[in-house]
Amino acid sequence: MSRLSRPTLLIQKGSVFVAEYTLIAEPPLAGYDETFGDMRLVAPADFALVSIALPLGREDKALKAIKTGYGVDLPEVGESILSKDGKVRLLRMAQDQAFVMFTHSKPDAAQVVSKKIKDSAYVTDQTDVWTALHLSGPSSRRALERICPIDLDTEAFAEGHVARTVMEHLGVVILRDAADSFVLLSASSSAGSFLHAVETSIHNVT
Amino acid sequence: MIINHPLLGPRDAAEFVYLGDASLIDRPDWQDEDAMDQFHAYGYLRDNPAGEHKELWYHEQGDRSWLVVTRNTLTHEITNVEIARDVARARGRDK
Amino acid sequence: MSQAGRIDGGLIDRSQQIKFRFNGKWMRGFAGDTLASALLANGQLLVGRSFKYHRPRGVFTAGSEEPNALVQLRDGAHQEPNTRATMVELFDGLAATSQNHRGSLEYDLLAVNDLVSPFLSAGFYYKTFMWPKAFWEKLYEPVIRAAAGLGKLSMQNDPDAYDKGFLHCDLLVIGAGPSGLMAALTAARSGARIILADEDFRPGGRLNAETLEVAGMSGADWAAQAVAELSNMPNVRLMTRTTVYGAYDHGVYGALERCTDHLADSGGKPRQVLWRIFSKRAVLAAGATERPIAFGNNDRPGTMLAGAVRTYANRYGVTPGQQVAVFTNNDDGWRTAADLQAKGVNVPVVIDSRDKPATLNLPGVKHIAGEAVMDTVGRKGLKSITLTNGKVIPVDALAVSGGWNPNVHLTCHQRGRPTWRDDLCAFVPGGELPVGMTVAGAANGSMTLASALAEGHAEAAAQLKDIGFKAKKSDIPDAEDEPRDCAAFWHVGESKKRAWVDLQNDVTVKDIKLANTEGFRSVELLKRYTTMGMATDQGKTSNIAGLAILAEEAGKTIPEVGTTIFRPPYTPVPIGALAGRARGKDFRPYRLTPSHKWAEENGASFVTVGNWLRAEWYTRDGEKGWRDSVDREARMTRQSVGICDVTTLGKIDIQGKDAGAFLDKVYSNTFSTLPVGKVRYGLMLREDGICYDDGTTARMDENHYVMTTTTANAVLVFRRLEFARQCLWPNMDVHLISTTDGWAQFAVAGPNSRNLLRKVIDAEHDISNEAFPFMACGNITVCGGVPARLFRISFSGELAYEIAVPARYGNSMMGVLNEAGAEFDAVPYGTEALGVMRIEKGHATANELNGQTTALNIGLGKMVSQKKECIGQVLSQRPEMNRDDAIKLMGFRPVDRTRKLIAGSHFLNKHDPADMDHDQGWMTSVAYSPNLGHHIGLGFIKEGHARKGEIVRAVSPVHGVEMDVEIVSAHFVDPEGERLRG
Repeated sequence: MSRLSRPTLLIQKGSVFVAEYTLIAEPPLAGYDETFGDMRLVAPADFALVSIALPLGREDKALKAIKTGYGVDLPEVGESILSKDGKVRLLRMAQDQAFVMFTHSKPDAAQVVSKKIKDSAYVTDQTDVWTALHLSGPSSRRALERICPIDLDTEAFAEGHVARTVMEHLGVVILRDAADSFVLLSASSSAGSFLHAVETSIHNVT
Repeated sequence: MIINHPLLGPRDAAEFVYLGDASLIDRPDWQDEDAMDQFHAYGYLRDNPAGEHKELWYHEQGDRSWLVVTRNTLTHEITNVEIARDVARARGRDK
Repeated sequence: MSQAGRIDGGLIDRSQQIKFRFNGKWMRGFAGDTLASALLANGQLLVGRSFKYHRPRGVFTAGSEEPNALVQLRDGAHQEPNTRATMVELFDGLAATSQNHRGSLEYDLLAVNDLVSPFLSAGFYYKTFMWPKAFWEKLYEPVIRAAAGLGKLSMQNDPDAYDKGFLHCDLLVIGAGPSGLMAALTAARSGARIILADEDFRPGGRLNAETLEVAGMSGADWAAQAVAELSNMPNVRLMTRTTVYGAYDHGVYGALERCTDHLADSGGKPRQVLWRIFSKRAVLAAGATERPIAFGNNDRPGTMLAGAVRTYANRYGVTPGQQVAVFTNNDDGWRTAADLQAKGVNVPVVIDSRDKPATLNLPGVKHIAGEAVMDTVGRKGLKSITLTNGKVIPVDALAVSGGWNPNVHLTCHQRGRPTWRDDLCAFVPGGELPVGMTVAGAANGSMTLASALAEGHAEAAAQLKDIGFKAKKSDIPDAEDEPRDCAAFWHVGESKKRAWVDLQNDVTVKDIKLANTEGFRSVELLKRYTTMGMATDQGKTSNIAGLAILAEEAGKTIPEVGTTIFRPPYTPVPIGALAGRARGKDFRPYRLTPSHKWAEENGASFVTVGNWLRAEWYTRDGEKGWRDSVDREARMTRQSVGICDVTTLGKIDIQGKDAGAFLDKVYSNTFSTLPVGKVRYGLMLREDGICYDDGTTARMDENHYVMTTTTANAVLVFRRLEFARQCLWPNMDVHLISTTDGWAQFAVAGPNSRNLLRKVIDAEHDISNEAFPFMACGNITVCGGVPARLFRISFSGELAYEIAVPARYGNSMMGVLNEAGAEFDAVPYGTEALGVMRIEKGHATANELNGQTTALNIGLGKMVSQKKECIGQVLSQRPEMNRDDAIKLMGFRPVDRTRKLIAGSHFLNKHDPADMDHDQGWMTSVAYSPNLGHHIGLGFIKEGHARKGEIVRAVSPVHGVEMDVEIVSAHFVDPEGERLRG
């Protein structure tokens, strides 16, 4: 949701409200953390993801704002980079689109990013669209080769590389965030199938 | 099959969706006098070459780009892969 | 049973004895044995019955080309038919049974087929079971089916797991014989990433089966040394028990790895893995397959290929007999005699069809030149052979060599056509090979050891150079080139008895001649008429001889006759491996709505909608059937308020300066003029003018719209919008991203919907009818600051909203809405009640937007703007799609209100006959309306509105039902739309 959104509703000025009901956040794989042999599979907590679309004809301005906001240049398509403070990862998904990945618990990640880049690009909150799994350990590649068509060889898929692909009929974004460590993103509605696919791969090689 | 994506390198065909003849980019002008005939041809008439064929593929499980792939229909050899948006612009599609 | 066939030596581990059962009888073998070698060691020559004539058969080869020794392996649900005993590694407790016999293996009742064989010649089925036609289904087919086929299925679910996977390499080396090992060593030492795959469990290929030396050591030792080197290199993936079965486009190969087939218990791990290998280059080093010579009764147990006899002697320390004759048309056959003799097996005679001096000087072995074997004796085991000179020689085994065929199969998978080499009497790779493939060693016609090693190195080096690696100048180890002369001698013309060409499908020389006589002269027709090469072995040992005989009969050369086309797979791939994990509930992914957990806890039944599981209704205590629940949900919603999870509708976030203009192009109606804070119903057409999809799109901000699509078309609409954005209007500033899963969206419908929402929406947001009228939308917060979106839209026709919260809150939100709604008797409702209410309101869905109907048909003709361009606008104006008598969407009710309407019924005028010439339209959707108390339907009928009030017949010949129905407005409930604006 854009921060620019203009509320169309009247606001009752001065009214004090007490919320009668409380909503509980229940991301699909929340709290998942398992170890299998030399591998660990975790659903990262407070995972936030925001899409940035570069406005046509105003790309330079947006890229500059990103550089100012995060202290790094937006990388090439298929690559990612950590912000200067190391807290945010920018993933270039397409020519005119990138994801911003960071740790943030409140449901206002889009506004956070929009502010950071001074409204220079179109942002859309993707936090709840996706569910994330973090797979690490020496056998990670062996497990992933059962479902991932991308070449994950250490040289072919260097640290920071990111690819969107398909695994077990599910669209998946795969990011290599360390030597033997991968972040996998897939649609939140099919989180159960996604987890099952990854767990089965791990089981089949351990 | 493998499609060598201009930005992402070689990717398995399973990531892509096929649409058809790249002439689908050349959508007629609705205000032309013979627009009906042109749209009829656009919608229904295709060449079916035995040999090189320019066709549209969508990298759905990838960067969501539409590509113009030049593929030999006899050998499956792919000789060229272009970003469809660039092709459309080069062919003079305005808005 | 003692291992009477066991002789010295071999690559088996005699310290590890293995017990196994064959037809219930316990036998012993050693680690390193195959089932075939162990059976031979135990003197079990008879291992099965042939397909058609139920002839006794024995082990014929020592590899994957085996036509005879097919067994049922394992017990119970794990039982697998048609397993090649030559490829089965012996494990402790292995249980195998022979197949294709009625009664015991020794006394097969169906062996009577062999006696009536004159009637079972080629084309027997086609000629015999022609008439009477009625006999086919009732008599012929059941009898044939009972008698046909080889093994039997367990008829239980396969309890094993299977998997798939993806591998990548610079160079794929197929086959780990001398040329493959040499290619792999060359490539591995250059630093390239390589995969070396071999179907055997012990790499080395023929090196393990021969007594030839490499680099001054035994071939097997050299192979072991090479394997040890390769195993320690990080850039090498050595895959044993792995068959590369197919060569596909662009360097992609299919491979089947048998992971646990050699173990007594898989331990819950996948039995087999089907790999897709992406290679930059490949070297095919698949070796060669020996072929037999056809002569009378050449199929008796104890008759084997000469190379196989050598394999059993050298690799497994096994001999099929104590008196073994050799019949050859080439130099290679002689080595069998030499190796057997060296192992102390008596070789009384070598019969060489060539009239030339002995290839090898073997003292004590009689050489008979220029003659052939024309018959044999011994029904269940060879007793003697009869030569063309009339001489009878008592033997208990016969080693036959008809020369070697390079394994060109994979070179042909992209329609490469092999070429004939006269000097080898064989086809070698030719034509266009699969992209990136070269061939080395025997597969390429380099049949001798030194040449195979050299070629393996050279081909790998050339391939590496192509992809930027430099092959180190590896030493090619010393080896010799064996003599390899071979004569074009295919069958023994003097034989009076049946001479088998295809052992697995029981095709004889006579059958081939008959096919030619009857006009089936093309090799492809010959194959289908005689079934030669159509069995599970795909004619690996038989095809070349078969077409040589055809060529001879037709007076052509072999290259003129040509081969049939080789297609994947090289050897059979189990269906289980092709299915992989995609079985049962894992057949495809499932998607859950955010409120799934709440729904489960509250009595929901679920229905599959695409991959989604949606609540179809919520059963309450005392409800006897689904109708009770659905009626209650629909009634209570209209009376008070109902809540439905509608998250599955596709949501597309559309942003950009040109977002409005873009929507004008893709929707038939206009969106650029939609004010911020408003929602509009939109209709999409296909380019041919037919309705494509519909939904509501909200303008959240000047440059920000949120589109909804139907559940089914969410992915397709997105794809199409990207096409429009990138290919048709590439210079628009517009950006798309799916947010379907991001927002949990709930329809809150009914007269109390506002009262309910007032309790959860934070107080500063005014949702009164004045501040938030019909078709308003906006960003709000709920439950104390959680961001949400509110849309005042209605699918039910009631005062209704859709409220969306970030999906993580969806389950909680469903609970909160129901809790807050308790005072209004709020009900959760499922897709069935949703459907009832939309039919009551006359909203079109997939039943009406079925890919055949236009905007005019569904009563939305005015929504196709003529003032602007949009997809489908031009072709929607075609005259035939705008006929005056075009079908229109109308409502229908039974004249007899107690009757149940049937969807799919066709409408006919009162006295017209029930045929398509008089067809007036059809019923698309029906439901029982709990609010009206009778069935209602939607449907298309010619001329529509003009016929309101008319009675027509609704006819369903499928159900045998016909009834009178009245044509009414499609809006059964609140036709003026007062409720939803209230």
